[in-house]
Amino acid sequence: MTTLQQKNPAQARPPEPAVNGIPAKPRPSKMRRKEARFFWLFISPWIFGFVVFLLGPMLASVYLSFTDWDSFTDPTWVGFGNYVKLITEDTVFHKALWNTLYFAFFSVPLGMGIALWLAALLNKKMKARKIFRTLVYLPHLVPIVAVALIFQMILAPDAGPLNRILAVFGVDGPAWLFDSEWVKPAIILLSLWQAGGATVLLLAGMKGIPQEFYEAAEIDGASSLRQFWSITFPQLTPIIFFNLIMGIIGAFQVFAQVYILTQGGPDNASQMLVPLLFTEAFRNYHMGYASAISWLLFLMVMALTILAFSTSRKWVFYETEVKN
Amino acid sequence: MKLLETNVSRRNVLAGLGATTLGVITLTACGSSGSGTASAGGAKNFVMTVWGGDPDKAAYQTRLDLAKAKFPDYKITLQIIPNKDYAQKVQTMISGGTGPDIMQVAEDANAYSSKNQLLALDEYISSAKLDLKATFGAVAENWKYKDKTYAVPDRAGAMILYYNKGEFDKKGLAIPTGDWTWDDLLSTAKELTGDGVYGYGGTEWWPIWMSFAYQNGGKIIDPDSGRPTVDTPEVIEALQFCQDLIYKHKVVPSKVDYANMGAGVGGDAAFASGKVMMNSTGFWNIGSLAKQDKISWDVAQIWHGKEKAISAFGSGLAISRSSKNPADAFKIIEFMTSAEGQKPILDLGQDVPARQDLQNSPEFLKPSWLKADVNMEVFPESTPSIFKPPFIPEWNEMQKAITDATADFWLGKTDAAATAADLQKRLGSIVKTQA
Repeated sequence: MTTLQQKNPAQARPPEPAVNGIPAKPRPSKMRRKEARFFWLFISPWIFGFVVFLLGPMLASVYLSFTDWDSFTDPTWVGFGNYVKLITEDTVFHKALWNTLYFAFFSVPLGMGIALWLAALLNKKMKARKIFRTLVYLPHLVPIVAVALIFQMILAPDAGPLNRILAVFGVDGPAWLFDSEWVKPAIILLSLWQAGGATVLLLAGMKGIPQEFYEAAEIDGASSLRQFWSITFPQLTPIIFFNLIMGIIGAFQVFAQVYILTQGGPDNASQMLVPLLFTEAFRNYHMGYASAISWLLFLMVMALTILAFSTSRKWVFYETEVKN
Repeated sequence: MKLLETNVSRRNVLAGLGATTLGVITLTACGSSGSGTASAGGAKNFVMTVWGGDPDKAAYQTRLDLAKAKFPDYKITLQIIPNKDYAQKVQTMISGGTGPDIMQVAEDANAYSSKNQLLALDEYISSAKLDLKATFGAVAENWKYKDKTYAVPDRAGAMILYYNKGEFDKKGLAIPTGDWTWDDLLSTAKELTGDGVYGYGGTEWWPIWMSFAYQNGGKIIDPDSGRPTVDTPEVIEALQFCQDLIYKHKVVPSKVDYANMGAGVGGDAAFASGKVMMNSTGFWNIGSLAKQDKISWDVAQIWHGKEKAISAFGSGLAISRSSKNPADAFKIIEFMTSAEGQKPILDLGQDVPARQDLQNSPEFLKPSWLKADVNMEVFPESTPSIFKPPFIPEWNEMQKAITDATADFWLGKTDAAATAADLQKRLGSIVKTQA
């Protein structure tokens, strides 16, 4: 956004006359220079923070990922050894990778779908709408440790409310957290319970859609479903896109749910990449190995994000871009 | 859908946002950097790290105040760190060059000693003429790695058996003693089981099933070769007995049963609420059980198998490699582990002091903080039976391998022989670097 502001005054000025045949660099106006000084002044805390606390550690972890480092003694260079071991040998890493993909594949689309559905419902004119909105957003505010404890009770094999409800319908519910087949769906369930955060963004987006669109559609005789798909959904795509990107990143970074609820068990059936990374770094003292995991994770999330961005021009609609 | 076909350009804002958030991932690998406390100050400044909560803080601070009175020119700073963050915090402190001078160590002590982060104390110990074996008993062996001593025992309480005295009296059962065999445990547990109540709390926790294994003549890691030995008949038989208590004799709640009792309920909570009649754990439940009057209870020694073998919970005090003044740091440790220095542990009811003389002192056996009549003699009586657990440098990895390999076993899905074979294989890949 800053670049746009910087460009405009420069373009408005006529080019400076050439001296000795060399085109002189246009000298910025006093106002412009002052603005630039303030720009650097205000951006400097962020740049400082980025370089010292983010870029520095990131570069260090690139180096460390090529070493065997216990975090106490000097690191020893192992080249691609950590990466080779991760990709070819480490069955726990493979399991964690699969689990994370599984979790992301289900939790992100389901979460987005539920958020959209809730937002559409909450956008309707009805009684006690504000109370419902609060209720939908509330789970998002509960600390994850508390959520995990609540779910330990909800998912209890026989005494838990979920399996009791299932029993009413004659379904013999699984042992959830103790069943390697059901522990991942249980964690997905927990993440869906918190879908309310995305709902709020979508709801705000819905409020921003001009009423004329709907009026015009009504005159043309469009049903409410048709209105949703032809007006609401396209107008919301930037927010849906934002939710998608944040959802992918969040899903790959899933940590607390696993760490508190299952510790990755039973037998790594719910182990995910970030808890595994944490275990390797701070329990097993394999800091170099953990750094390699974090960079593989980074590359994967980066690749998926790029993929999402490259497809976005096909389905994400920006009003400002139409005006250009 | 016509609107979507328009020419779309860049999405700067979102792209920027996405990239920034991505960057955060790699930060996870770096963790929180240790806030450096002044260990670098002068040679008379010392930092001591311990773990625990408020009762621990009170006990350690009282002891340090005594040390300060004895050594007025030392400045000793106590850093108390919550249990679960301790290892990570000390790790970051050491990596950041601000390691403590004196640190409390426990099961994973050799993660540090094997990586050259602790000082071998043998010279200091011999010049101070300390006899660790005579003063502390068997637990002195716990803090040795490759024949060198890396810590002085500080706290050491044997695992004990809590039993519901009211229920034993009601059913006319003989109270537990150290003379019990496995069969006595099983038959009494059977008598106590019924009506949603279980005879015994469980064996899944490592100090319990390992006690069974050692009682049966088994070992987890062979101390001479450093190889894992969990697939031996002795260990397999012990594991099978532990599992049979749950699924064959049904005198112990399964994991599923515990989950049905409530979130986070285990043997300790179930015993306190009267759902489990016997439970084996450490000293720490005495204080909390003394405060309730729902059940009447007492403690006893753990049974024996072919041999006597009992787990213990404790910690030692070690000197970090980064200490500027290790000789004086040792003087502090020497005082802290003297009878005078360890006395606040029992006065405040924090734990069992490692010193044998204190364990046998009237102040420990009849504590002023404990109103109930509790058989505290079990601690000194159990001490000779404490076995040295496999405190290998890869302790945490070994624990994880055990949890992973036995997950299905404790759910009753696999038997001991198959589980032990699987665990043997997993441990082999962890400790192979050792030999």
